[in-house]
Amino acid sequence: MNIAVLIKMVPDTESKLEIVNGKLEESNFKYMVNPYDEFAVEQAVQFKEAVGGKVTLVSLFTDNNTIDTDLRKMIAIGADEVIVLRSKDYRGDKPSTNAEILAKKVKELNADLVLCGVQGIDYYQAATGPMLAQKLDIPNISGVTKLELNDNLITAHRQMEGGIQVIESQMPILISCQKDMTKVRFPALKDIMMSKRKPFENQTVDYEEEADIKQIECTLPPARGGGMIIEGETPEEKVDKLINILKMEAKVL
Amino acid sequence: MSKIVILGEVDNLEIKNISQQVAGVAAGMGDVIGVVIGKNVAEAGMKLAASKIVIAENDELEFYDSIKYSSIICQIVQKEEATAVLMGATSMGKDLGPRIAANLGWGYLGDCLEAGSDGFVRPTFAGKVLSKTVPTTKVVVSIRNNAYPAGESWSGSVENYSGEISASTLKTNSIEGLGNETVELTEARIVVSGGRGLENSENYDELIRPLASSLKAAAGASRAIVDAGWVPHSHQVGQTGKTVTPDLYLAIGISGAIQHLGGMSGSKFIAAINKDPDAPIFKVADYGIIGDLFEIIPVLKSKLEN
Repeated sequence: MNIAVLIKMVPDTESKLEIVNGKLEESNFKYMVNPYDEFAVEQAVQFKEAVGGKVTLVSLFTDNNTIDTDLRKMIAIGADEVIVLRSKDYRGDKPSTNAEILAKKVKELNADLVLCGVQGIDYYQAATGPMLAQKLDIPNISGVTKLELNDNLITAHRQMEGGIQVIESQMPILISCQKDMTKVRFPALKDIMMSKRKPFENQTVDYEEEADIKQIECTLPPARGGGMIIEGETPEEKVDKLINILKMEAKVL
Repeated sequence: MSKIVILGEVDNLEIKNISQQVAGVAAGMGDVIGVVIGKNVAEAGMKLAASKIVIAENDELEFYDSIKYSSIICQIVQKEEATAVLMGATSMGKDLGPRIAANLGWGYLGDCLEAGSDGFVRPTFAGKVLSKTVPTTKVVVSIRNNAYPAGESWSGSVENYSGEISASTLKTNSIEGLGNETVELTEARIVVSGGRGLENSENYDELIRPLASSLKAAAGASRAIVDAGWVPHSHQVGQTGKTVTPDLYLAIGISGAIQHLGGMSGSKFIAAINKDPDAPIFKVADYGIIGDLFEIIPVLKSKLEN
């Protein structure tokens, strides 16, 4: 089975977020593998171990190669190769453009199964996966917490409001992975050493903008000041005061 | 007047409140055409606040299917020459929206906090940054729950969908309930969240869940206790979990890591209970109690129940 896993490199969650003239200041960002994508890599490797095949990791990023070490760690989980599509114009908030470029590559790979994280923890659009499926004219299932493979049949458990939708499908299909899907392994030292010998290919791509939103103005949300600390001699007294405030002042009870 | 297509979701034979909110937003932007898809949805569908309602009712549309549903909406958009598609940022809307945008070649704005003719505001970086857009092109938009008053119902014209239903390899076997009548985090008016201060998973089940149910609230969690396996990830609030914006967020035994604060600082009011006076949660909380949660929560619960 041929599996393609899409990996987005996102700003580290510790990154300081500053706005300059309505734009996010990105020059000091350090990048990490989007956490949801790690579940996709682990799931792909588990399928490969069960039925054989090939796992190709595909990422799209700028020409900044400080991300290479983290991507190698993803190969160490058990993937076969990584292809990084590079463009100096790449931006994380252009899902249509990114889906178009990634779709072309995934098509070349002739993947039976395409896995990605449910969303990027940078722009939270959860859009690139479904868009890419549409562009390849294949079905997609989003927010999957459990994925099973029997012959050529995929069974996915998808999180929805108040329940789980259990869906079955033939491949090819694109699945976006939720956090509970797998437990990501820590690669053994041997696998880390081996990962250095596996193919790591950089390919330059044209970044032709698609239908993405162009005009975006960023602001920081209004800062919340610390509020009042409720004093009291006993837990009862504190609780009485809190309930009173929530009822009378905040009017939320 | 421009035409706006909206998705009306039906749950338990009723139009979802979020869909009526979307209808309300759309009414401020143009002529509203509602699309309702499913099995046995006609009666509920007619209550959607739209001037025209298209019902796509068929046995094979009983369960959400990304291929079938997106193609139906796209066919209606093209037939009506609509200029925007709006839907709730539900599990269905967040999947369907990008697919429709890619199919039509339009822009996409997901999970908007504010929407209307003055533009759209969406949270990024788990709410740590807000992005505002005034689109100049055609767009598909999903709108977060709880943000808007519901549109007012009126009787518009109703017609049956007459286009094609695309073939799809997807087949839904079942919908499994989560077993208990829990309130969904992203839809809740009140969220009660617990963190590492609870010490173990039994305390989460004995203190947080009952308090949440007596407040008709959703039960949330910090990343630390999800990673420790006390509660499933579906409860996690924060940058790698859910972003919530309830009227009241009650943080219990949560210190308030920056990733957690990102996911809940859009709440209208925040109350925190923590024994550490220096916990960062107190820097964002409107009301704080410094004290032992094991003493305070039982008192809080019994007083709220009276």
